[in-house]
Amino acid sequence: MSTALVDRPAPAAPSPSGRAKLGPIRRAAELRRTSPGRLQLILAALLALGLLTGLVAGLTARSANAGTADLGNRAQPLLVEAEAIYSGLADADTTAAQAFLAGGLEPPALTRRYEADLAQATTALTSAARRTPDGGQSADAVAALSSGVAGYAALVATARADNRQGLPVGSSYLSAASLLNRQTLLPQAQALFGVAQREVDGGYTSARSIWWLLLFTVLLVLTVLALTIAQRYLSRTTHRTFNMPLLAATGLVLLLALGAGSLLINQNLHLHRADVQGSKPAAELAEARILALRERGDEALALAAHGSGSASEADFVSAQSQLTASNGPLTGEYLPNEAITAHKAYLDLHRQVRALDDGGDYDGAVKLAIAADTTKTFDTVTGDIGTALNQRKAEFTGEIDSAGQGLGLLIVVGPLLALIACALVTVGLRARLEEYR
Amino acid sequence: MRTRAALAAATALAAAIGLAGCSGDSSPLPPGLAKPSASATTGPGSAVDTSCNARASLRPTGALPAPGRMPAGSTMAEIQRRGRLVLGTSQDTLLFSSRNPFTGKVEGFDVDMARLIAAAIFGDPDKIQIKVIGYDKRVSSAVDGSVDIVADTMTANCARWKDVNFSTIYYDAGQKVLVSSDSTAKSIDDLGGKKVCAAVGSTSLDNIGKAASKPQPVGKASFGDCLVAFQQNEVDAISTDDTILAGMAAQDPYAKVVGPKFTEEPYGLAMSPKSPEFTRFVNAVLDKARTDGTWAATYKKWLGAFGPAPQPPKAEYQ
Repeated sequence: MSTALVDRPAPAAPSPSGRAKLGPIRRAAELRRTSPGRLQLILAALLALGLLTGLVAGLTARSANAGTADLGNRAQPLLVEAEAIYSGLADADTTAAQAFLAGGLEPPALTRRYEADLAQATTALTSAARRTPDGGQSADAVAALSSGVAGYAALVATARADNRQGLPVGSSYLSAASLLNRQTLLPQAQALFGVAQREVDGGYTSARSIWWLLLFTVLLVLTVLALTIAQRYLSRTTHRTFNMPLLAATGLVLLLALGAGSLLINQNLHLHRADVQGSKPAAELAEARILALRERGDEALALAAHGSGSASEADFVSAQSQLTASNGPLTGEYLPNEAITAHKAYLDLHRQVRALDDGGDYDGAVKLAIAADTTKTFDTVTGDIGTALNQRKAEFTGEIDSAGQGLGLLIVVGPLLALIACALVTVGLRARLEEYR
Repeated sequence: MRTRAALAAATALAAAIGLAGCSGDSSPLPPGLAKPSASATTGPGSAVDTSCNARASLRPTGALPAPGRMPAGSTMAEIQRRGRLVLGTSQDTLLFSSRNPFTGKVEGFDVDMARLIAAAIFGDPDKIQIKVIGYDKRVSSAVDGSVDIVADTMTANCARWKDVNFSTIYYDAGQKVLVSSDSTAKSIDDLGGKKVCAAVGSTSLDNIGKAASKPQPVGKASFGDCLVAFQQNEVDAISTDDTILAGMAAQDPYAKVVGPKFTEEPYGLAMSPKSPEFTRFVNAVLDKARTDGTWAATYKKWLGAFGPAPQPPKAEYQ
């Protein structure tokens, strides 16, 4: 099983003077002068191009596959979890404040709701921790949130214990808890949300693997071009019009281009849809829910401040103007009209609450703010947003699954096709080289 | 070096302005008026202002008008037209003005004093709107008119008299210390270097800073927050008026109130100096309460646990 190349006497035989001193470029130039030399050069070039194309095919497929998987399994879920942490904490704070406003023992419905909120936040926090790499902004935020939530829950528990015994200091514990929630935990959750959003954006870029794709395309074109030129040269210098192995190699490379191209185009199309119909509206809906919860929280805090709640009311107005801006998060096409109507109805109720409080009827204001109807109206808003958010999440998952299809196969098959093409090239050219022996 | 010297000079100047303009209270005035600096009042420079008799208020003129018939053009007539008296107070000073956890209502000795005023204006003590204000907003709220009257364990002193009018004294308190029940401290003198909490804007916080034993003053938004800090071991003690401390000790069996009263804190109701007729009216209401037994009944209702009602503080007039 010896090849012609190996059988030949080594050109770089140890000889202190003469050709051994020539550099590789000069040696390649020397080779051009003879026909077998030219064939050797063509063989080397084709093999190099073929192997490189195979390598890059594998790397491109791997990068696209890994990027898509990372986007679907890590970045996007992290964004959803950051929102779940935020809305859980914000709603827990609002619920605790409402229970406080109600006076007496906390109504069981509010206690249950608070506990569900806290469970939602901690569950999301646990799975977010799994998705954040060590070090870095998101890991810091998750660590700060984990310890902060424990402290928050302890403060609220003390407040409830004090309240059960009729100790007024309970309300001070509650305000300490609320302060911790709003000044430390919520900003951390929002920071995590921001980091996750940037990671999603970055995830799309790396999933598209645009540079790999470009390099792969260039190499494919070059390989096909080189194969064509080699065959034209061979048909001119030999008596055979077609070199069958080289023709087969060209076919294989074209097949690779076709297969990889269709897979990668399919991936990009689905990525685009996942972005436009999944990630973007989901982020917008998440923001809408965050803003809506901020409104409701501000309302309760303004009442809890008992006449000194102008800062909370100002924050309400700023959240409301962001939410209801002409192209704000509440105007998205994926949100049912009922949510927008319910939000309008809630704003009307809020205006009534403020009018009562400012007019001196504090008890009436509290009663209206925590009335079942008001709660129901507001829950319609967040509930509808939640439903729409889940639909967008499902859409995203579906599109990402389609985007990742076949990429794993391409990692193996791409280089394999290139290797077979290289083997065919070797076979095809060795037959010609043999003729010069 | 020159810039640093200039900076120091500017700081000193600011502190001086703070002392002169702010009238020694830690409570900021509305923008446009002199801006006080909290540190200026707690520093050793702020000696007790004895330029006046802080207990002396404006003398009432004539008999009280009948409820619902306030003299035209007076602040009382304006309050009557509005339909409610706006009271500035706190919601976590047990016994004086705190939120009842069972009913959610703010109640106490201070609130009852304001209810007397409402009863005198409207014939109905319930025509009152409670506005919870920070300790550091008591002077400014009375001055800028956001409340009609402040009843919030507020010490009448000469510094504050420069910005507000006080009623005659309705309660005499004095500052003591609350420590954990296993503490060996007997008074503020044993708390050198320890963290001692009081509400920002209270004279209590200023007094901690002035104590000879040099405790470390820690300011919190309210006395409720001080109790939270004490129970969480963030501070070693709380120092403020004896009655407020008694209310806290009642909520925490592991705390005790120690020491003699090391200051005198006469409580007055604060109002805007722009309407002296209102202050005279309030003083007339308080006078009536002193003589007809209402004051003693209110004392018994809120502070009866500390013993029988003493004689009400004597009214003094300028």
